Amino acid sequence: MAIIEVKNLAKQYPLPDNKSESFFAVDGISLAIEEGEIFGILGPNGAGKTTTLEMLEGLTDIDGGTAFIDGIDVSKEPYKVKEIIGVQLQANEYFDNLSLLELLTLFAALYSREVDAEDLLDKVNLLEKARAKPGNLSGGQKQRFSIACALVNDPKVLFLDEPTTGLDPQAKRNLWDLVLELNKSGMTIVLTTHNMEEAEILCQRIAIMDHGKVVAEDTPQNLILQHAAEPPTAPLHGNIEDVFLALTGHGLRD
Amino acid sequence: MPSKLQLHLARVFLKIFLRDRQSIFFSLFFPIIFMTVFGFVNDGEQNAIKIGIVNNSNSAAAMDFTQLLIDDPLFNVSPGEEAQLRDELVEGDQTMVLVLPETFVAQNEGSELRLLVDAAQVQQLGLIMPVLQQALISIEREFRSIEPMFTLAVEDVKARSQRYLDFLLPGLMAFTLMQLSIAGSGFNIVEFRRKGILKRLFVTPIQPRDFISAIVMARMTIVLIQLSVLIAFAVLMLDVRILGNFAAFYFVIMLGTFIFLCLGFCLGSIAKTQQAVMAVGNIIIFPQIFLSGVFYPIDSMPELIQPIARILPLSFVSTAMREIANSGASLLSIAPSLLGIGVWFVVAFVLATRLFVWKEVAN
Repeated sequence: MAIIEVKNLAKQYPLPDNKSESFFAVDGISLAIEEGEIFGILGPNGAGKTTTLEMLEGLTDIDGGTAFIDGIDVSKEPYKVKEIIGVQLQANEYFDNLSLLELLTLFAALYSREVDAEDLLDKVNLLEKARAKPGNLSGGQKQRFSIACALVNDPKVLFLDEPTTGLDPQAKRNLWDLVLELNKSGMTIVLTTHNMEEAEILCQRIAIMDHGKVVAEDTPQNLILQHAAEPPTAPLHGNIEDVFLALTGHGLRD
Repeated sequence: MPSKLQLHLARVFLKIFLRDRQSIFFSLFFPIIFMTVFGFVNDGEQNAIKIGIVNNSNSAAAMDFTQLLIDDPLFNVSPGEEAQLRDELVEGDQTMVLVLPETFVAQNEGSELRLLVDAAQVQQLGLIMPVLQQALISIEREFRSIEPMFTLAVEDVKARSQRYLDFLLPGLMAFTLMQLSIAGSGFNIVEFRRKGILKRLFVTPIQPRDFISAIVMARMTIVLIQLSVLIAFAVLMLDVRILGNFAAFYFVIMLGTFIFLCLGFCLGSIAKTQQAVMAVGNIIIFPQIFLSGVFYPIDSMPELIQPIARILPLSFVSTAMREIANSGASLLSIAPSLLGIGVWFVVAFVLATRLFVWKEVAN
């Protein structure tokens, strides 16, 4: 059963250089994300990935269409949705003066909950940093801490926005392990990424977005079979990057 | 009443704010310097009038005259040559220069004393001339051995003398609490936004009013501590007296802090960048410095401005604080000010919660 149901979702923004006209950052997309799966949203910069997530998270108003998470209408009851989702944003700065333990306790308080903060830190492999300040963490540690913050309310759905951007290979693998582990416990995970390998390894299903529309949606294997440049003489020739480029073209994006 | 969630959040924010010791300390720096300067400059004593004297006569009378002037505590006399004293007058080192003519003979015929003044100090001269005239008359009496017809027997009834500092302190406290509060909430909001912290908070189910209440409670605690330090400094080091009830004084301080914290929130919601918050903040702060009776009474302002000046939030707060501190007024007797404070209290809180919309402020 789909835990996230999106129908004809749309978001309009005024054009940056001509405020009187607007364009669709997200242009009527429909998605059905199954409970317990890792769902990847791929797309070049400006394709509408982050805007889609922000609408689902209640950060941005929905201009058209509907979105339901676990049967709750996102535009009608955003606060109810917030109770059951965990969110990791692209920007991950926190209050400088609090330790990781204190921050997790604070985030739990925002949900009127109490958490075992040490247990959470242990889960993301940061227990030895419990008393450190977020400013003193490395990139990978920061991302893992962001995920820990997103877990304080024991969410049904976890949104990760480009979780591995800027990480070194070790930190990236480490984070993948964490995501797979969380998924194994039954958590539905929706992530955006530019990293094709990441999409292939982590995601059970992928949606590729371009110009605000979903241009393809399937399992990585099926997408490769259908869209990889070379005709498939052997099963699974090529990779998701070939699919991505075949679908979105080679033109540079900003 | 604050909810358990609000109290918990307030404790966390208090912890965050308290760890920023530098800014807590340095924000006290300016008011303390300010008070100290006013405490020393205006210690109630008149400064002696600096007067240069040029004695062109060698007569004994001229020497006596000079000596009598030197003995007068109202004057700080420096004898010298005319050219040099003229220069000093121009430099501003002398207030005036008195030139005794060569024919300084005081017997029965009057002699003309030349008085050199700097026209730039005309206002001061208006005050000083009568003092000088008076001094000349009493010197003349002494020369001629005339007893004055009238003497004034001054009797001190020990009424509390009010120094400018006593007048200034409540206003300065009110002004300081405004600045600390507006900066405390407004600047924090903008900083939280810049770091993306507001956005992160917005994806949790926290309601704006809980967030605002928590920040207000935490920041109010800090401001109360800061003001207590200033008040202790004023009372212990500068001998400023607070006549009224201390609890009433703090009650007004707390209401005032609340108002300006909420206005700071409005500011943080409207202004999107640190530069903008400075500019808009100055629009709120500057007129109130001059119009709210902080440094001089509203009664002494042009009549046209007075009605506007009186309804500014800082006017109500500083007036209430001044009446309690200087006149020992009770809360009941400052009801009009409290009413004004109450209206601003509601207006500021409603505005703050209306303007602080997560979707708007977080992005």
